[in-house]
Amino acid sequence: MNFEPDLKQYTMCSVLGSCFSDRAVVFLGKHNKSGNLVAMKNFNLDSMSKTDCQLIQDEIYNTRQLMHPNLIPYVTSFLDKSQLYVVFPLMGYGSCRDLLRNHFVEGLPETVIAFVLRDVLLGLEYIHNKGLVHRAIKAGHILIRADGHASLSGLRSMCPIDKRSNLHSLPLQSANNLNWSSPEMLEQNLLGYNEKSDIYSIGMTSCELANGFVPFAETDTTLMLTQKVKGLIPHLLDCTTCYPYEDNAADNGYQSEETIGVNAAPVSSVYTRMFTEEFHNLVELCCQRDPESRPSAPNLLAHTFTKQVKKLNVKVTDLLRPAVPLLKTNVAEISDDLASIGGMSQQLSDLDLLTYAWDFDLNDIDDIVPTL
Amino acid sequence: MMMEQREFDEDVMPSAIDDDEDVFKDLLNVPADWSANDCLSTGIFNSFDPNEVVYRVQKKPCKTVGKYVMGDLLGEGSYGKVKEVLDSETLVRCAAKILKKKKLRRIPNGEKNVLNEIQLLKTLRHLNVIELVDVIVNEEKEKMYLLLEYCVGGLQDMLEHSPGSKFPCWQAHNYFSQLINGLEYLHSRGIIHKDIKPGNLLLTLDETLKISDFGTAEALSPFDPEGICASSQGSPAFQPPEIANGADEYSGFKIDIWSSGVTLYNLVTGEYPFEGDNVYRLFEAIGKCNIQIPGFVTEPLRSLLVGMLKKDPKKRFTLRTIQTHPWFVCRHPRTSEKVPFPPLRGDFMHNMTVLPYLFNYHSCETPLDNEEEYITEQLIKDRPNGSTSVPIDDVNDPSKRPWHKPIMCNVKKMASCRLS
Repeated sequence: MNFEPDLKQYTMCSVLGSCFSDRAVVFLGKHNKSGNLVAMKNFNLDSMSKTDCQLIQDEIYNTRQLMHPNLIPYVTSFLDKSQLYVVFPLMGYGSCRDLLRNHFVEGLPETVIAFVLRDVLLGLEYIHNKGLVHRAIKAGHILIRADGHASLSGLRSMCPIDKRSNLHSLPLQSANNLNWSSPEMLEQNLLGYNEKSDIYSIGMTSCELANGFVPFAETDTTLMLTQKVKGLIPHLLDCTTCYPYEDNAADNGYQSEETIGVNAAPVSSVYTRMFTEEFHNLVELCCQRDPESRPSAPNLLAHTFTKQVKKLNVKVTDLLRPAVPLLKTNVAEISDDLASIGGMSQQLSDLDLLTYAWDFDLNDIDDIVPTL
Repeated sequence: MMMEQREFDEDVMPSAIDDDEDVFKDLLNVPADWSANDCLSTGIFNSFDPNEVVYRVQKKPCKTVGKYVMGDLLGEGSYGKVKEVLDSETLVRCAAKILKKKKLRRIPNGEKNVLNEIQLLKTLRHLNVIELVDVIVNEEKEKMYLLLEYCVGGLQDMLEHSPGSKFPCWQAHNYFSQLINGLEYLHSRGIIHKDIKPGNLLLTLDETLKISDFGTAEALSPFDPEGICASSQGSPAFQPPEIANGADEYSGFKIDIWSSGVTLYNLVTGEYPFEGDNVYRLFEAIGKCNIQIPGFVTEPLRSLLVGMLKKDPKKRFTLRTIQTHPWFVCRHPRTSEKVPFPPLRGDFMHNMTVLPYLFNYHSCETPLDNEEEYITEQLIKDRPNGSTSVPIDDVNDPSKRPWHKPIMCNVKKMASCRLS
């Protein structure tokens, strides 16, 4: 389908969220001719530094270069005065981060994670085959289409890698992604890092999807660094790994307020649920300290946890309820209803109330830990 | 074995003691990476069984300046120390040039040069020019911290550690072309560096060359097409004949070309084109400009060197002629082994030196770990690189899944690092 690079061809319906460290707005737009819904990232170039512009440019360039069902497709981008619009197809469920924030505070169901991970790994395998490293895999960069299909976005930190030499420096403006970064990437020494660093991020993202928040959330960044360098492996929180406070007290001297908080909550599924041994194993494999012993993306696709997806006869969309995707049909409904009430500003605020928030980029750490 | 690791000299000297220096190390409190032989050779002990000796691990107290956590010394210049630091928010490694007002006043043009450097660096942005990340001033201590991009080392250091103090052709070509790229940017901005030499060319972890030290650089007037300069404080061996002969005014662009030529000569031959017992002799030799290029330097490199080291600045190559020169344009096959980065105090990987401080800082927070840590000779030998790091937990052992330690629940809430 042809999406024209012209603002007049689109109608802005509502604000979906923000991205790019809250300096860009994501609008829900409607392509006038076809009636298709799109997500439009709006950057005000006047307020961007040279580095910012470089990053935006890199993202567009990288997205255009790649074509895979599990990577966010490029539609078009255009300038309107000093405003840059980058158009993407609408992903009905938004990002996994949004799902966790709005509906699955204590984590997604394991089966959904298996589907999501399989999709993400297919996209990642393609990226690695192209000789690229993603460097920013996290739940906020995994988008779910209305049919439950997951694709990887956030391609601005992507970087080509030479087979002979590793990468060494942290990507530009990576401060928001540090919790997902591999220890060897954070170490910034002469050994450097390679595509196995993405596998570590897959492990961290798996924990994030299962636990509802990323490991080391709300941890001092320097403490996170020392823990990762020492080789601490984060893991899934369930009844086999998480005991109520009393059992833990004898374990070690450092007990956190967080644990007490979690324990005080009367109905926390963390202590009753149990993830499968395969899932535990996959996370453990991915989060190993030594990058060479981590499996590759194709290895992970052959792992029993991701392979089970083929045999499963369930729909991701059913498992995601009560979350509902943003679709052409239900957006039209809302628009009609609102039209009778009248007032564009009213429409916008009402749409927000219906929690159609959509975020490309997760910025505030406060949202990571569920409020119990 | 690694005797140079004792940084006693700077700490023992009373003049150097101040709260920013490393803590005074008493003799029994030897560094953890010392072996028994080190102690024997210093005469502390006469004879003993190495396994009976117990060392107290050197605690590294964590200090911060602003949001930066201080690490070990990277180098020392006439202006002060350069230490490694870590940005505690972005976890990006940086280098901090620590300048003391007292020290600066004693150096001719000291304060002026520093201000000049800060002003210039703030406006510059290029892959091959060092980036000034931040400036922090501590009025109370009369100190200034220039936070720069982290570099592993300079070309000078590498040359000193390489056989014949030179680079293989392909490696020199890589650095030289990056130098010319950076220089092109500087000259396009009307900036004359005036002190191009291997010591001022630094390399990042991925071997990107960074032109550094803009203390003596000069920004030309934007309305001066000739680029006339009238002062130079650069290193004598890299000065062009016009300066050696005492000219009052000269083209600034051409002196950078000359010093880049001397730099290239130095990178490929390991020698300097002109030598002298003292500055006067040296300037005499430069002034005459009789260059002898060693026989092993073949065309087209030979003609490039000759062109860059022309006595008459007008006949000297311009950046454009260099960039189109056959030696510059052609690809050089990787024929010989690469000259690596020299290790920093025994560490070939150039690991973050801030880490031991952070380990110490974060372990101090838990009362259980607060006790002194003791290690024996055997333990030191067992450690892979002998650093003062806290022993690694068994969590890497795949047979033991650390079920009982869910870190996501257990991580303690940290106050951000203390201010020094």
